[in-house]
Amino acid sequence: MKKVILMLLIISMLIGLFGVVNAAKKVTIWCWDPNFNVAIMEEAASRYQKLHPDVEFEVVSMAKADVEQKLNTILASGVKRGLPEIVLIEDYNAQKYLQSYPGSFADLTREFNYKEFAPYKVKLMTLNGKVYGVPFDSGVAGWFYRRDYFEQAGINPEDLKNITWDEFIEIGKIVKEKTGKYMISGDPYDGGLMRILLHSAGTWYFDEKGNPNIANNEVLKDALKIYKELFASGIMKETSGWNEWVASFNNGEVASVVTGVWIIGSIKAEKSQTGKWGVLPVPRLDLPGAVNASNLGGSSWYVLNNSENKDIAIDFLREIYAKDIDFYQKILIERGAFGTWLPAQNGYAYRAEDPFFGNQRIFLDFSEWLKKIPSVDFGLFTYEADGAIMGVMPDVYNGNLTIDEALKLAEEQFKNTLGF
Amino acid sequence: MKIGKSYNLWGWVFISLALIALTLFILYPIIYSLYLSTFSTRGFLKTFVGFGNYKRLFQDRNFLLSLKNISIIFVVQIPIMLFLALIYAFLLNDPKLKFKGFFRTALFLPAVTSLVAYTILFKMMFSTDGLVNNILLAIGIIKQPIRWLLDPFWAKVTLIIAMTWRWTGYNMMFYLAGLQNIPNEIYEAAEIDGANRRVQFFKITIPLLKPIILFTTIMSTIGTLQLFDEPMNLAAGVVTGSSVGPGNSLLTPSVYIYNVCFKYVPNFGYASAISYVIVLIAAILSLIQFKVVGERR
Repeated sequence: MKKVILMLLIISMLIGLFGVVNAAKKVTIWCWDPNFNVAIMEEAASRYQKLHPDVEFEVVSMAKADVEQKLNTILASGVKRGLPEIVLIEDYNAQKYLQSYPGSFADLTREFNYKEFAPYKVKLMTLNGKVYGVPFDSGVAGWFYRRDYFEQAGINPEDLKNITWDEFIEIGKIVKEKTGKYMISGDPYDGGLMRILLHSAGTWYFDEKGNPNIANNEVLKDALKIYKELFASGIMKETSGWNEWVASFNNGEVASVVTGVWIIGSIKAEKSQTGKWGVLPVPRLDLPGAVNASNLGGSSWYVLNNSENKDIAIDFLREIYAKDIDFYQKILIERGAFGTWLPAQNGYAYRAEDPFFGNQRIFLDFSEWLKKIPSVDFGLFTYEADGAIMGVMPDVYNGNLTIDEALKLAEEQFKNTLGF
Repeated sequence: MKIGKSYNLWGWVFISLALIALTLFILYPIIYSLYLSTFSTRGFLKTFVGFGNYKRLFQDRNFLLSLKNISIIFVVQIPIMLFLALIYAFLLNDPKLKFKGFFRTALFLPAVTSLVAYTILFKMMFSTDGLVNNILLAIGIIKQPIRWLLDPFWAKVTLIIAMTWRWTGYNMMFYLAGLQNIPNEIYEAAEIDGANRRVQFFKITIPLLKPIILFTTIMSTIGTLQLFDEPMNLAAGVVTGSSVGPGNSLLTPSVYIYNVCFKYVPNFGYASAISYVIVLIAAILSLIQFKVVGERR
């Protein structure tokens, strides 16, 4: 009897596996973060459904790692079934997917007017002159600071608009001395700040040809020096993991946060700090070509070439993500999602004063900085390079290796990972 | 004869389902991954490299580092854990012990918690201003908070503490079962001969439990080689999750395989080669343990 039940179970599972029949006009979307991407996509879907009531949507919410895992396995196996129409891919990973699975993503070059999107985003999803995605949110970086702490330390934020990181550290010391608060917080082994530093100087771990540019990369040397100094000077509170990091500014332990615009939701979650925050442009490296604008993170939508309702999916993305100005205002206000479709930035939400940030028109500032972000080619191996560099950081912090030696070792390690 | 044959036939019919499932889901992947390990892949682009992946492995510092990391766990954590488990089992086996059911449950309970859940709990407890540091500071054992998950050395210590908490009770159960098979008369005789509890433990319990100790050692060795959930979750990063623990101090082969497949540019061929080497290492270590422990039999 048990065997029969087991057999029935297996058979029904097999049917479940192979027998998935999609409804005639159904668009499936894979993305992560229920409070951000998923909620935004559901909003977009409901807007499209008002115009086209016959189209069904299924927005599947998964962890980011799960989306990547599923996408990798499903594309590598070469199956044509079970593919979603639309998938969210982090910008740092875009080229990796495009080049590893050629032909899997729909060529959208002729479907959208890419001049209307932020140029640096479009470049990230361009391969051999063809554009494969729909740029979504930006990770334009800002320097979020506590107005009350800075005032207490006698620092005028107006003087901080275009400073360098060295000046930042000096100011941090004053803040620490006068208020007892840390200037900034972060994980000593997280590459987030590294990416902000590199991007602000228009450099990455690779040169134009995609060869590693680590050991002799002046920007990277400077960035490593700043990492070391931030911790050595005692102005950076060490945290481990996302939750600790967010807690460090929610409970008022730190005077500022340097990261992507998407953090706004987490900062504003602490209602008691209303009016106490402000935003400044990020500090720059003291190097030629470095600017006071950078980026961290951000992702974009991609359409899978072999999915069933590819054309509907493309039409959907065009109707909402490249046409609906009001949609962009709503997701900015409700979710803090900073779109990269430029016409949307003339909308009201981008000009609104935010009482939480002391009535600063923060998004107007962010739109200005967005335009200044240097265009960078992330290449295929950002995570490998991050891993190699963070792997040598313990020896940099404790002084076992000089920065030059550490970067040389990191480059070797990186080449090892790649099997050059 | 005739009956025997038809029995045989029916036997095959009955096991055929399991057999097909076994071939399809276990045997086929094993063979296919061996084939795959001779290719270097990027997504679905394949290049044949023969033994290239295996050669590359021995120059890959990340892989070697991951082996080094687990060998530290292997040398430090497994002996501590198994010894603790033995002592617990020995104490619990004492017929005079009261509240036996309570102690047994309390010690075994960690083994039924989910790997991810307990790791996240440990990550919270061992954060720099977390519970453990606060307690240690309050009772004055340390003056400065320990940077548990921010220092390569302490990160490993955290991992070892967490794993010991999780797996000691599990191993204890095997020993407890084994102890039931040691007749009480032996202990009584030893007591009459004047052997105290310590001598009894080392001269009677351990030798008689040898096969079970061997079994738990091998299981733990294989478990360590496949270690994934704990380091993966302890190291869950901030924005980019760049290294697995501070300075890759929690990188294990399984996490590396995962990274090679899903985090880095997907190279399933190389990942297969790594997993084959892991299998080989597990086999060799098990063989050595058999030889060492089983020599007197």
